[in-house]
Amino acid sequence: MYRRGARALGVVVGLAAICGVALAHGGNLRDATQQELAVPTWLFLSTGGAVVGASFLLASFVTDRAFVEAVHGWSRALPAPRTLLAWVARVAGVVGFAGVVVTGFFGPVDALRNAAIMLVWVGWWAGLVMATYLVGNAWPAVDPFRTLTRPVAWLAPESGRDLSPGRAAWTSAGFLLVLVWVEVVSPLADDPPLLAAAALGYLAVAVVGVVVVGHDQWFDRVDPLARLFRTYGAVAPVQRTTNGLRLRLPAARLTDRVAATPGDVAFVVALLWGTTFDGLVATPAWASFARELVTLGVPAPVLYPAALFVGFLGFHRLYWWSAHAARETAPTFTDARTLGVRFVPSLLAIAAGYHLAHYLVYFLSLSPALLGALLAPANPPVARTLVLPSWLSGVGVAAVLVGHLLAIWVSHGTAYDQFPGRLQAIRSQYPLTAVMILYTMVSLWIVGQPEVPPPFL
Amino acid sequence: MPDTPPDAVECPHCGEPFPDERLRDLHRGLEHYDRLDDAEREAFDEAYLAENADLRSFRLRALAVLVLLYFGFLILYAVVTL
Repeated sequence: MYRRGARALGVVVGLAAICGVALAHGGNLRDATQQELAVPTWLFLSTGGAVVGASFLLASFVTDRAFVEAVHGWSRALPAPRTLLAWVARVAGVVGFAGVVVTGFFGPVDALRNAAIMLVWVGWWAGLVMATYLVGNAWPAVDPFRTLTRPVAWLAPESGRDLSPGRAAWTSAGFLLVLVWVEVVSPLADDPPLLAAAALGYLAVAVVGVVVVGHDQWFDRVDPLARLFRTYGAVAPVQRTTNGLRLRLPAARLTDRVAATPGDVAFVVALLWGTTFDGLVATPAWASFARELVTLGVPAPVLYPAALFVGFLGFHRLYWWSAHAARETAPTFTDARTLGVRFVPSLLAIAAGYHLAHYLVYFLSLSPALLGALLAPANPPVARTLVLPSWLSGVGVAAVLVGHLLAIWVSHGTAYDQFPGRLQAIRSQYPLTAVMILYTMVSLWIVGQPEVPPPFL
Repeated sequence: MPDTPPDAVECPHCGEPFPDERLRDLHRGLEHYDRLDDAEREAFDEAYLAENADLRSFRLRALAVLVLLYFGFLILYAVVTL
């Protein structure tokens, strides 16, 4: 008993030490890059990579199977009036949707004072998504598309079509990339009537989807937004199970079989690449690269979808390479498909960390404008933004690193569940850790760059 | 398993192939412990203990890499910010 307690204490102290080091590096280095101190970018990036690599080595010191299992399996029941909460959320979702459509078409033209723009981009895309991976997934209850298409499901004849889960997930991933493209290239964040029309358009797509494949299949398998929230929700500490809400450690559910098919892998990779792409196109390097390509004769409208697609293929290839390589380093005869599907949820902790880095400052600084626009949608006060302390931008770097540390720990736990040998489990992680180190460096580079408006839009 | 070589060791209980006997014995002990006879349980214990020795040497190497990383970066920072 004593040994067990001491071991647990040791792990907690060890992890706290890594996180502390990571935070210290993150904070100092971010300040360093901002104040143009002597630390060059390559050193900043390789320090980030080294933190992830070192945390892999430290995680590999934890080889007690029972302990790893106990950490990931820990859960407590969370009593909550679920039916009441679900109804409140449904009403809020439908009221919010109606509000977005009405204020979008008839509200003020100024984007910062328009309740539709503020609610969708600040409240929903930044705030609710953050709440989804930090607390729990409430979108299935809030989702106005789900609520509003229910009557269609009663009226339309039950479709007998049975979608294969793999193909549905691929379709979902494709839809998600299209949404990212629309979000990046269109003026949806500045043009309230266009945003309201897009919301109605999405409702129309959902109606068609429900008629063609049925309500359950559309929202459980195809709808990219429902899948996005469900996927991010797997990171959260509050989980919905058949026996009510349960509290788990953050990211602990990622060691369960969250993904089931290569289509799910594609969706997770699309999610990760989508958030990265969002940040990438706002860097000065992308701006000059894009201008260079257009001077060489590449048509500007093709540029963004092509970059989005090529980047997705690159990320997807790289991930599957790591799954194939793991068979050699472990070694194991388990096929790469099983390994790829098994380990992909760990990337979600990274995606969540990167989303937080990208949107936390945005959400906090615009929250007064959101509140003002919501309280008086017809005639909102002058939009105010919150002046934030400068250390808050360091939270972005810290979020990227903590996301990676969680991912390392998640894939360590998954490997212990998957492989019989303890050393085999550690060795199977070499390729994935290499990919994660590479990705940390890429995302730290993006987070550390100044933001400029993307060209040719 | 599509590309399992013919010399793979299979688990007699579920047929899963393994690259060597030690991993097979470990798998048997972890997944089918209740159905094992005494000899198989002994093989599991032996495989587990044999792995401990390998893990110890892995930890030493990992520690060496950590020390190298730490001092490597310390010196790198010292040189760069000089």
